[in-house]
Amino acid sequence: MSQHSPSPIQAYLHELILFVLLIALFGLAGGLMPNFLSVRSQLILSKHLWEIAILAIAMTPIIITGGIDLSVGSAMGLCAVTFGSSYEFTQSVLLSSILCVSIGTLGGAINGWLITWLRVHPLIITLATYAGFRGIAEGISQGASYSQFGDGFGQLALGSLWQIPFPAFVFGLLAIAFAIGLAKTPTGRFIYAIGHNETAATFSGIRVDRIKFWLYTLSGTLAGLATLVYVSRFDSAKADTGTGIELEVITAVVIGGTSIFGGRGNILGTCLGLLLIHETKSFVGRYFRIDELKLILVGALLIGSLLAQRLFFRHTDE
Amino acid sequence: MLSALRSLAKSVLLRREVGLLLLIALLTLVVSFVDQEFLRLENLRDILVRSAPTIIVACGVMLVVVTGEIDISVGSLMGLLAACMGILISSNEWAWPLWIGIPITLLAGTAIGCITGLLVTWGRVPSIIATLGLLTAFRGATTLLMQGENIDALPNALGEAAKYGFAGLPLGIWVALTVVGATAVLIHRTPLGRHLFAVGSSAYSAKMVGLPRNRIKLFAFAYVGFLTALATIVDVPRLPKIEAGIGNGFELLVVTCVVVGGVSITGGRGTLTGVVLAVILLTMMRPMLTFLDVGEAGEKWTKAIQGAFIILAVVMDSWFARRPTKQRASAVRVG
Repeated sequence: MSQHSPSPIQAYLHELILFVLLIALFGLAGGLMPNFLSVRSQLILSKHLWEIAILAIAMTPIIITGGIDLSVGSAMGLCAVTFGSSYEFTQSVLLSSILCVSIGTLGGAINGWLITWLRVHPLIITLATYAGFRGIAEGISQGASYSQFGDGFGQLALGSLWQIPFPAFVFGLLAIAFAIGLAKTPTGRFIYAIGHNETAATFSGIRVDRIKFWLYTLSGTLAGLATLVYVSRFDSAKADTGTGIELEVITAVVIGGTSIFGGRGNILGTCLGLLLIHETKSFVGRYFRIDELKLILVGALLIGSLLAQRLFFRHTDE
Repeated sequence: MLSALRSLAKSVLLRREVGLLLLIALLTLVVSFVDQEFLRLENLRDILVRSAPTIIVACGVMLVVVTGEIDISVGSLMGLLAACMGILISSNEWAWPLWIGIPITLLAGTAIGCITGLLVTWGRVPSIIATLGLLTAFRGATTLLMQGENIDALPNALGEAAKYGFAGLPLGIWVALTVVGATAVLIHRTPLGRHLFAVGSSAYSAKMVGLPRNRIKLFAFAYVGFLTALATIVDVPRLPKIEAGIGNGFELLVVTCVVVGGVSITGGRGTLTGVVLAVILLTMMRPMLTFLDVGEAGEKWTKAIQGAFIILAVVMDSWFARRPTKQRASAVRVG
């Protein structure tokens, strides 16, 4: 162990690499498609980003503790069905929204409770709720699709203030709150401690279980919020809402430099990771007009970023 | 004497295989009370045919999990291999003869498994991330290969074998039996099999006694690739055509079966019998719901039941089987 603290460049090496990659991508995209970089087209493209972005904010601290939440996509399905069916009963967007977020929170709390009670790896528990939430959503909705929630509700995702879409504000507030929480509060530091060594954290008096419980609960709450954005954007709520989104969220967080084994990562990295994936997908989708290429590139980016990190910066890791 | 008997009974009853077997028996009994047709030979054979691909792949994924790694790319790998195989042998596409197309598919599966293994061992990418990335990439590659169209006109021989097979049993069942047998021999009768468990139960000790950790893990991943190709070959031709969605969600079903079958996700522990029984149990659910006549509405709940089974398995584990760890964990909590 070295005694001196690492220089800022070393400490933020990963973020720096992401930033350089992002600039390179912008340069390439701007050169090939000049109007790609215009504010207008960026705003149009950003529509697809917000659900993933909101979920990634909650996923980051979870992965920093060494855990994972595979169930967020399925939780979105459950929330969407809750929203749709309660709207059918009450015809009230507000009431349905509250119910939607509450069900998300409840689902997250169930995850947190099972993980801390059974002391089993979160991968297993959230795999169970991944199947479970989706199953309940399918069982309740019976394949029904709800829509026509009114124009007002559609404004939630599509409306904007000073040209900035509303979901961006939600995301921005959450990102700032989580970034400060992780970097500047005792609980935030405890989250890193848990990821580094859970046993040591427990012995130093950190309430590991309580922190974990709330992190998973929060992840459920944000799944509820992300569902609202999604449903508002498409004006449609179905049991298959959010299928596969958990993988995109985890990809963004990991590309952002958060270690899947815990203890390392931050919100800034996650934001850069989100942006890099989003811009890569948008650029490839628009320039080559082959949607499938996006998936291949995102997969390659995920593996490539870790491979590069492991092979070239071996010493910084151990 | 009595206490010896009691501890014997306890150790037998607490085994995951016994629990699964009892559960399967109980459920079969209940369903056949409602509808005796459930016990007809055709229906039981149908359940086995449906579980065959899952059994084949689970044998491999189990070995990967036993070494302490995980593979969540098998579903989209199956889709990719199905597309490859379709393009090679369909008479509307390249129309290569079966004896070339099938070995190439197997080779492709094994090669991709090797790449996954190399990423994990040599590249030191955590297996969950490596296979997550591959899962995404394979999906893209599959849709790219299929170009938005379905592949049909597979050779009749393959479809016939997949549906009717030899000696009254479809090809899938024969292959599944062979794979289970081979994997059992591998686990119990070869040094490599024991090394897989050794690496999983303590990577450090395995390194200290000089086991080639990387090569052992590489083998496990390559085996998964090979078995996924095998499962694709015996199962996909049952369908009238190859679509892009083949294998979606299969990876998590396989991992679910491995976990319900009692394999420890941290490696080093698990039995083949448990995994096979878990696959059969989970595959039985849908036909069972059909025979219980709960209608379409009830069948929509199969995924929820799947989730409940994992929780049940985990609860059983932490209540009975793993008392010592539990005590250690609570001691830590008090401390």
